Amino acid sequence: MIWFEDVEVGQRARFGRYEVTREEIVEFAGQWDPQPFHLDEAAARESFFGGLIASGWHTGAMFIRMVVDHAVAGTAVVGAAGFDDLRWRRPVRPGDVLSVETEVLDKTPSRSRADLGSVRVAGRVLDARGEVVMSLVSIVLYRRRPGAPLGAAAGDP
Amino acid sequence: MRYFEDVAVGETLVLGAHTVSEEEILAFGRRYDPQPMHADPEAARHGFYGGLIASGWHTCAVMMRLTAQTIARLEEASAGAPGIESCRWRAPVRPGDTLTGTSEVLAAWPSRSKPVGLVRRRSELVNQRGEPVVTLVGVAMVRRRDAGAV
Repeated sequence: MIWFEDVEVGQRARFGRYEVTREEIVEFAGQWDPQPFHLDEAAARESFFGGLIASGWHTGAMFIRMVVDHAVAGTAVVGAAGFDDLRWRRPVRPGDVLSVETEVLDKTPSRSRADLGSVRVAGRVLDARGEVVMSLVSIVLYRRRPGAPLGAAAGDP
Repeated sequence: MRYFEDVAVGETLVLGAHTVSEEEILAFGRRYDPQPMHADPEAARHGFYGGLIASGWHTCAVMMRLTAQTIARLEEASAGAPGIESCRWRAPVRPGDTLTGTSEVLAAWPSRSKPVGLVRRRSELVNQRGEPVVTLVGVAMVRRRDAGAV
């Protein structure tokens, strides 16, 4: 089990493969982000984006699917507090194949919960050409190793 | 049509309501965030949160849906969004919770490179007890009236 104490600042990972289909773009948008440039090819062609693009929240959902499939098993992650600096850098279009890169930025024991610590992880979603389509800094909550001395985790500032 | 020029700093839009069912939590969780607390009711009962909770990304999707419905109702000339400056999931969303929201305009300024204006908004969803479940600050693009119907 990878506990809070075991997370190494600077650690990088690259994983995932997610093929984006027109059907899934339209299905996600129909339920969660019903704007013309996510739903209708003709309207999208006339729009600012020149063609159908995925909802940015759909890209976020595909990101978390790849994270859960490849990076959560075997860790003491209990969830996330949120994220900062999420940028939708390039449109995601039907046929794009996405993957994820992560880097651990820093980690801090929780002030309010002695059994938890938060880890800031920079995440990037890449397309098949290696272009960054989305980036963010996730604030991930880990359990601390049972019995570990408080405030004395390896790597603490 | 409501353009960038019609957006006023300080105005607060009232978003509609959305009730999150167990079925919806499981459907989103199993598709996009298949961790036990979002995808497996039995495992969730014995887990950290003591029951099934919605994925934070699902809660954000609810925010987007309510926002898109409001944009459509106002006929706002939305041109997408470059990003979210901060998002905090502040309380778990559980089956049966009814979420309502507000979105306040914090700042508005014209883009230097595109025929749009940028609008920074602070949006928040609360549950039926008035507890905030998600707070986010994001920037959206709204077309300018003088740019015509792009």
